[in-house]
Amino acid sequence: MADDVRGRTDDELRALLHRRQDLARPAPADLSALAARASTRASVQRAVDSLDLAHLQVLEAALTAPATSSSPVQPSTVAALLGSTAAEVQPLLDDLWTVALLWRSPEGLRVVRTVGEVLVHPAGLGPRATDLPGAAPAPPADAVVAAVSDAPPAARAILDRLTWGPPMAVLPTGTPDRVAEGARWLLEHHLVRSVGGEQIALPREVALALRGGRSHAEPALTSPDLHGEDRTPDAVDAAAGQQVTDLLALVDELAAEWGLRPPRVLRSGGLAVRDLKRIGSVLDVDETRAAFVVELAYAAGLLADDGSLDPSWAPTPAYDEWQQQPGDQRWAVVARAWLLTTRAPHLVGTTPAGASGTVNALGPDAHWPPARGLRRDVLDQLGDAPTGLAPAPASVANALRWRRPRRVPGTLEAVIAATLREAEWLGVTGRGALSTAGRALLEGRDQSSLAAAMQPHLPDPVEHVLLQADLTAIAPGPLAGGLATFMRLVADVESRGGATVYRFTPDSVRRALDAGWSVDQVVGTLSDASHTPVPQPLDYLVRDVARRHGQARVGAMRAYIRCDDETTLGAMLAERALSPLQLRSIAPTVLVSPVAAETVVDFLRENGFAPAAETPDGGIVVPQAGRHRTPLQRRTSPVTATGVDDELVTTLVGALRAGEAAADYHREQVATRPGPSLPSTDPTTTLAVLRDAAADRQAVWLGYSDADGRVQRLLFYPERVEGGRVHGTTEGLNRTLSIHRVTGAAVG
Amino acid sequence: MTDGPLIVQSDKTLLLEVDHPRAEEARRAIAPFAELERAPEHIHTYRVTPLGLWNARAAGHDAEQVVNALITFSRYAVPHALLVDVADTMDRYGRLTLEKDPEHGLLLRTTDRPVLEEVLRHKKIKPLMGERIDADRVLVHPSERGHLKQELLKVGWPAEDEAGYVDGEAHRIDLDNADWSMRPYQQQAVDGFWHGGSGVVVLPCGAGKTLVGAGAMAQAKATTLILVTNTVSARQWRDELIKRTSLTEEEIGEYSGARKEIRPVTIATYQVLTTRRKGVYTHLDLLDARDWGLIVYDEVHLLPAPIFRMTADLQARRRLGLTATLVREDGREADVFSLIGPKRYDAPWKDIEAQGYIAPADCVEVRVTLPDSERLAYAVAEPEDRYRLASCSPVKIPVVEKIVAQHRGEPTLVIGQYLDQLDELSQRLGAEVITGATSVAERQKLFQAFRVGEIDLLVVSKVANFSIDLPEASVAIQVSGTFGSRQEEAQRLGRVLRPKGDGRTAHFYSVVARDTVDAEFAAHRQRFLAEQGYAYRIVDADDLGDVPA
Repeated sequence: MADDVRGRTDDELRALLHRRQDLARPAPADLSALAARASTRASVQRAVDSLDLAHLQVLEAALTAPATSSSPVQPSTVAALLGSTAAEVQPLLDDLWTVALLWRSPEGLRVVRTVGEVLVHPAGLGPRATDLPGAAPAPPADAVVAAVSDAPPAARAILDRLTWGPPMAVLPTGTPDRVAEGARWLLEHHLVRSVGGEQIALPREVALALRGGRSHAEPALTSPDLHGEDRTPDAVDAAAGQQVTDLLALVDELAAEWGLRPPRVLRSGGLAVRDLKRIGSVLDVDETRAAFVVELAYAAGLLADDGSLDPSWAPTPAYDEWQQQPGDQRWAVVARAWLLTTRAPHLVGTTPAGASGTVNALGPDAHWPPARGLRRDVLDQLGDAPTGLAPAPASVANALRWRRPRRVPGTLEAVIAATLREAEWLGVTGRGALSTAGRALLEGRDQSSLAAAMQPHLPDPVEHVLLQADLTAIAPGPLAGGLATFMRLVADVESRGGATVYRFTPDSVRRALDAGWSVDQVVGTLSDASHTPVPQPLDYLVRDVARRHGQARVGAMRAYIRCDDETTLGAMLAERALSPLQLRSIAPTVLVSPVAAETVVDFLRENGFAPAAETPDGGIVVPQAGRHRTPLQRRTSPVTATGVDDELVTTLVGALRAGEAAADYHREQVATRPGPSLPSTDPTTTLAVLRDAAADRQAVWLGYSDADGRVQRLLFYPERVEGGRVHGTTEGLNRTLSIHRVTGAAVG
Repeated sequence: MTDGPLIVQSDKTLLLEVDHPRAEEARRAIAPFAELERAPEHIHTYRVTPLGLWNARAAGHDAEQVVNALITFSRYAVPHALLVDVADTMDRYGRLTLEKDPEHGLLLRTTDRPVLEEVLRHKKIKPLMGERIDADRVLVHPSERGHLKQELLKVGWPAEDEAGYVDGEAHRIDLDNADWSMRPYQQQAVDGFWHGGSGVVVLPCGAGKTLVGAGAMAQAKATTLILVTNTVSARQWRDELIKRTSLTEEEIGEYSGARKEIRPVTIATYQVLTTRRKGVYTHLDLLDARDWGLIVYDEVHLLPAPIFRMTADLQARRRLGLTATLVREDGREADVFSLIGPKRYDAPWKDIEAQGYIAPADCVEVRVTLPDSERLAYAVAEPEDRYRLASCSPVKIPVVEKIVAQHRGEPTLVIGQYLDQLDELSQRLGAEVITGATSVAERQKLFQAFRVGEIDLLVVSKVANFSIDLPEASVAIQVSGTFGSRQEEAQRLGRVLRPKGDGRTAHFYSVVARDTVDAEFAAHRQRFLAEQGYAYRIVDADDLGDVPA
């Protein structure tokens, strides 16, 4: 393997590092280290996982093909196992060599040894007969077929279950007699082997014979096509534009609502279910869509935790900037944010695996790093599909399963549905097919060309509303920034779409007045925005609300002074010494102060007044003079320490002497022990040494740190290396050692 | 993006820009499947509902036409989900068909077996069904035809009723067209009804609904049962029918508390039909007394619940519902649709007004400010007493006097809810008062005097809500009402909408107490006015002098 890697050209090495990026970081010291790293389990696992189904099947077939040290993997054998031709398989084999899952020995192609550990049961096939207990060779293929034709039904049933994998079965005690009978028959005819305990295994050769010499039931060397409905590009772009209009309006309404009434950030982070429901009803969308809008705004940095002591979710200053931009630019910002976010809005409301409760929007559980990769995969499928094709979700799922057979999550269908749904809401697709602007997004274009791609499909902004006597206003298109904000403030949105219907209510008008607008400003802005005069009932409504607005005032102070004698209060106001109290008169007989009541009382007394303190319900505070006491105290016993005495010292010295003697003995042992010296080696090298030794059935000297931390020297006969452990024998005993405890290894 | 007059919203409302050159074209295209919800001055709002879509299917429109109408007239892209929803919803209609089989009688047939299986398992539908004939057909008892249709509509699988109507006992009825003729919209309403077989015609008060009834009877040429709200309106129906049709006094019977006549054309009150003795409806026989060919429901929005149940049994007869508004405060619009039939004709009031058939109206809300003592009393009152307290405030009386004085000489009605208040008003204004306690004879005498102009001012209670015909009332002043009832508002406005001989504008005043529930309810009612296209103004009582008389 190392020779193979050393023999590669620069281009081939570049291709390898490009396809297996984990090999490049940290940079390996030399090509041997690169080869060693490329054959580590973790790296091979990664490489195998990223294969598509065609490559995976070829690799499995190559692993299955009988190979010895003298006869390597033959393309024709692999092709025969897959029911294909050598010409078809060869490019795939070459590709697998490029990513160093195969290597070229002088005799020919070989599978990298670690692949066998990653793919334990390649194509659902069991171990070879010689590797199973008993180590007897399997019966020849024709004998298998002949024996099977005589098999009793129970035995046939077991074989049928094992043929296409999984190749192992458990026959627990209490297995029905008929089944146990069938298993016994199979064992007697050497068709299955017992692998200790209650397990049986179907040897690889037998399975291949039963499979008719094929490795896979359904070879899939070419990718499946997407199928679905065809849309015209115009319809797609028009639908996308309409969705974008809706989406931008929703984000604006979200920001308007949370700008006014920011919801609390949960202690665990995230948004309470109740708040999500509420924003859903405000936006008049279901919770799935509400969660999407919230998460999208968050991903685009348009809203965030405000970081205050009692934190709440609120729009960011970036929102204000974003809100002023034209619709196409606004879309480009959120669309790019969506493409790159690792948040998964579709998880909101579901129960996370292995936990209780539900996932909260904006919470840590809705952060799911695989989401970005999967989203990209789904969109790439759309991008590869012919223009205007709206693929069925099932066909996207098929295509993805082919592309990453080992890496699809169990929830693939849900992820695809969510991605397609979100893409539709974002106008990345229109009626299921990729829109022009969506394609630009996938191509990674910059902000301005993205916006330009969306611009023709968005309705032109309007700068007027139609005011009606039933107290509604209708904007017959998307409103330009400032006016939209004003309308949302002064009226409630009643219906959304191409146009927006606003309804004026006393509450909504009061909201505008609370926000600091004056009556004349409200009416003036409305009449400027309308081509027709402001209807009299609307004008009346605004003025009527304004009439009552602010009639009563509410504020907070820390102390009040009340006195029936207005002259006394007047004197207090005029007294310069009382100015630190910042007294203010709110009625002829009441003064208020932002200073604590006790301080006010003290100040007044010092300045010749004789106030009495009042309780909140109007009673007089009577201090219990001279009887101030702390609350009841609990007493704790004092801390004491014991010293060092003779007895302790004697014991300690004895122990130290014994330790020294043990160390001397150890040094003596080291000097006289057999075998080479063991410099410490790094685990990658240790693994390579052990793996080679296991394959060549050689013994190695190991330094092994035991449970007490002492390093032992062992002469070890490794048999197999898997899962960070090495299995083998030492001094005639079976032992399993953890690789991370091996301090060094050298061939003995 | 086209420049169409229609904007399709994601909540399935359609906004129609009235001033657009293609607005009328678009209105005609969407009217078959969308309900007109609001008709203020600039933009009319229609709503697409499953019921409307199924009605369109029943009238022979298909999903393609609907989708096409939306796409053709829409200014922006139509939300795709809405189009899919339209197609899906309309596709649900007609999977089940009620039909008459010569061998088995009434049965339900399906073209989609899973649907039949689904409805047969529904716990409310199961008991209505008879024996199963084969995989696609199930017997239905004729008396359950209405219930079944009602329940099927509720589960979203409306049945297409092809079982047809019985012709009923033939009786010759002609319109007496000597000195008048049907107005175009009335004719359209009759045609729309007759074409559909059964259904509801929505026309504003004063637009001549009685004549639509007469027209339908002339089409049916069969014995007719007319159900009305009270005896006064029963007499008016009789007078109108004698005047406008070939029917004579002998042919028309009255079935009410006072008289029990059954004749080829019988006019019965809801009240007598729903009278119960020992828990039994004693007058139900009336429905079977003759082989009625047509049943007319006047003021169908007031149809009491027991009548619904009885109507469910009358599905084989042609049914015509007449009303000014389909708004029911009890929300049972769907029952009206499934039992009487879909809406067959509807026109915005303003349109009919523009054609000169109803009087133009000036609606004014007059706000009075309660004096401090009353405001305090109001603030501490129990919630259930607040409305009465606010709407009966004595400060309203001088305001009413002022309005009456401004319109001196014009026929004026003062309408209220609370008798004490009405009595006081009648004393102060020196006018007669008509309440539920007034005898029929006295009532008719006063109405007649009002009609001929001997008196020009009447104070009336709730009795004025329904079908009294006061042709020359041109000013109505309402001082209190049944909370926020929009239906009542429609009826009261109707009192002044009858066309005036001299084309005068009608005036409709509401006097409300500021900052109280009275004003809140008034806002609710006024929204209805505005949605019907009537601009209204709000003035303070102190500014009343500015109101042009």
